[in-house]
Amino acid sequence: MESTSLAEQERVLASDWGGGKSPFGTSWSKFMMWIFLISDALTFAGFLIAYGFMRQVAPAWPVQMEVFSPVLITFMTFVLISSSAVMAMAVSAARAGNPKDATKFLAATIFGGAIFLGCQAYEWWHFISEGATLTHNPWGVPQFAAAFFVITGFHGFHVFSGLTILAIVALRAAMGKYSADSVENAGLYWHFVDVVWVFVFAFFYLF
Amino acid sequence: MTSHEHAHPHGYRQYFLTWVWLLVMTLTALAIGYFHFLPPTVKSLAIIGITLAKIFLIGSIFMHLKTERVNLVMLTFTPLLLSVILFFFTFGETMTSDPTHQIHNQSPNFVMPTGEVKEH
Repeated sequence: MESTSLAEQERVLASDWGGGKSPFGTSWSKFMMWIFLISDALTFAGFLIAYGFMRQVAPAWPVQMEVFSPVLITFMTFVLISSSAVMAMAVSAARAGNPKDATKFLAATIFGGAIFLGCQAYEWWHFISEGATLTHNPWGVPQFAAAFFVITGFHGFHVFSGLTILAIVALRAAMGKYSADSVENAGLYWHFVDVVWVFVFAFFYLF
Repeated sequence: MTSHEHAHPHGYRQYFLTWVWLLVMTLTALAIGYFHFLPPTVKSLAIIGITLAKIFLIGSIFMHLKTERVNLVMLTFTPLLLSVILFFFTFGETMTSDPTHQIHNQSPNFVMPTGEVKEH
């Protein structure tokens, strides 16, 4: 372009945005994972905001802590936070070039995730056996059970996908065919699942 | 392997401490949920505050945002900040809504979509 001086062009080319550089300082796969996580976070934000609106316009909302078991929910939170911490250690081990430790920590993470999913299955089974469906429930407005099924169901499906990804990464680590990047990306996804649960725990169960 | 096992002892310790803090905050939030003597606003703000602190810990330490470039950090939280702003733009409307779905409008010249003029 004639309007851009040569000095200006050189300045842009030398900057982080001039091409051939990584403005975000990450590998392409990690960057893509972050982009995915942000879009996924917005999906959950949409769900929680819709839940907030439904709850606000509902004439009455059931007391969640009386419908659900606070002990079970707290235990589930404990399990997911613990698995997240162990996952962070797995990433550390993978980065340090220690596949044996990485596999061990990944297996522990998967174990925690499986316990969480089991608890959630139990909670769903209990909720449904008490008469809850997407459109009816014995405690109050129909939106209550609908919000529960959609929000925890969507989150539970994320936990299930996370377990699948972690299983693949752990198998590859056990075979020595892993890369530290793949462990870190799986870890980012797993921590994200934890982050979403922290929000669900606070806004769906405690509020 | 011995050198590798000791390569990140500090990292493990930091993750362990973060885990302890997350547990403490989870239990505090749970306890606040039971503090019925607290005014609802204080209770809500406390739970939101603790939740954000937990997210901050998970994001900065477990997800390594503490050591990432500012470019990436800004990319992660600005869309969420925008969604919170959008939430508060529209949340006010739910405060004034009523189950009969009648439109409330203070303007005397307001004509209902049905053609009926609203009386004051």
